Amino acid sequence: MRVSTIALAALTLAPVFGQSALPRARDGKPNLSGIWQVFNSANIDLQDHGAQKDIPAGQGVVEGGEIPYQPWALAKKKENFKNRATADPEAKCYLLGVPRITYSGHPFQIFQGSGSGLITILYEYAHANRFIYMNGSDHPAGPIEWWMGDSRGRWEGDTLVVDNVHFNDRTWFDRAGDFHSEALHVVERYTLAGPDHINYQATIEDPKVFTRPWNINMLLYRRKEKDVQLFDYECYGFDREKYYPLPVEEEK
Amino acid sequence: MRLLAVVTAALCLWIVPAAAQAPKPAPWTGARRPDGQPDVQGFWVTIVYGMGCLSNPRSGPGCVDEFPDRPARPKAPSRVIDTTDGDVPYQPWAREKQKHFVANFAEPTSPEFIDPQQLCLPLGAVRQITWHDIHLLQYDGYVVFVHEGGHSNRVIPVDGRPHASANIKLWMGDSRGHWEGNTLVVDVANSNSKGRLSRSGDFASDKVHIVERFTFLDANRARYEAVFDDPSVYTRPWTFGLDLKRGVFDEGALRSGDENYEHWEEACHEGLKDVDSSLRSPASANPERK
Repeated sequence: MRVSTIALAALTLAPVFGQSALPRARDGKPNLSGIWQVFNSANIDLQDHGAQKDIPAGQGVVEGGEIPYQPWALAKKKENFKNRATADPEAKCYLLGVPRITYSGHPFQIFQGSGSGLITILYEYAHANRFIYMNGSDHPAGPIEWWMGDSRGRWEGDTLVVDNVHFNDRTWFDRAGDFHSEALHVVERYTLAGPDHINYQATIEDPKVFTRPWNINMLLYRRKEKDVQLFDYECYGFDREKYYPLPVEEEK
Repeated sequence: MRLLAVVTAALCLWIVPAAAQAPKPAPWTGARRPDGQPDVQGFWVTIVYGMGCLSNPRSGPGCVDEFPDRPARPKAPSRVIDTTDGDVPYQPWAREKQKHFVANFAEPTSPEFIDPQQLCLPLGAVRQITWHDIHLLQYDGYVVFVHEGGHSNRVIPVDGRPHASANIKLWMGDSRGHWEGNTLVVDVANSNSKGRLSRSGDFASDKVHIVERFTFLDANRARYEAVFDDPSVYTRPWTFGLDLKRGVFDEGALRSGDENYEHWEEACHEGLKDVDSSLRSPASANPERK
């Protein structure tokens, strides 16, 4: 039995509720299913930055322009910036945390519409994954320090709101050394702006590092190429591939 | 009737291994998802755990007892189910290669002898089934496996789309599935074959073609078989097989209705020491162990 692509497309794309042209799931919620990717340079620097060798210039994504660091933290960020070539966790291929995994520049796939409501997001970067629990459950009791944190979601109207806690203090927000502590609390908002765009907002709160919560805003773009799919980007595997030559090529 | 058929099939595996084959697909009588797929979501885990050795799954690397000081457990059936000796039908050069890996496993003097799993690399589609558990999720047009072990995943489209270009090699291969009654059939191509099939050096080449069959026998049991076809390494196609149950790694069967179990993060690479720390110098290798 093959599932009919045409039937699926009709179900997911038909504007079932009101006059909205947004794709809707069977439960009437906006359907975020698909492969998405940013088209910005937030992973290089969340704030405005000019071009450098091999690095394009880019508009910042921070509301108000500046990240509100406490004085000691701003000094620390500057230190991170100096050491970024080696100190950036991305340079070590570590899991990037939230929200950085969203704007790493690699595509990711949102799966929505399981019977339980569980939303799964798979990221091409280092086969990272997240489960967005939609069953009203609370975060597990801490303290827990995970690279990708713990995600609990809910719908506020047509916006998917995801509350994230239980991070470690080892991920950065970008290659410019922007950082946080294990007290990080991230609230993401995914709002379809049309069939092929998501307005993505993340509120970042960390009283140990910042003077107040701050927001980033960006667009997620739907990948629409025929038969587009995620591949693997085993970031830490590349240096090691040489250890595993293909036996047949070696023998014959 | 169904149970009898399963028992008979299991007996056949032992009496006439060469004739073994996956249970014939039966009609699916359970719940279905809105997209028509049989609904088999939840956590699944191999009944006999371990990836040390294909022919003797409860043993360690090299197919020898890993824990001789512990009480012996009954020998589990070989995971190679359709050869007379229960072992992979390697061509002679490939058997030598596999033995060479085994001989150097415990005291690796070169990085190629370090099992890729030890470096947190993805295990490949089939070996991953033997390690930790599978969170099987179904979405419109997809079956998705999220494995606890090394947080690997597989996306299996079941909408009839073609494979990705054969030029794109992948650690977990490229999977395309379809349902035949109670059986999910998955065609796996594009493997980069840099992983190994066990901790005993078993391997395939990047020309391997794998057809997996997940037969869901009832709400809580499934049979998994995978045919490996790779004329560049084996003398004939062979079949890997094991039984799955609904449940999670190390916690036995899930309680009925326990839908609140959650996979927690298993970061792996992030805690890894440098490759060199796994190596022994040739001079010190053997004396160190004696």
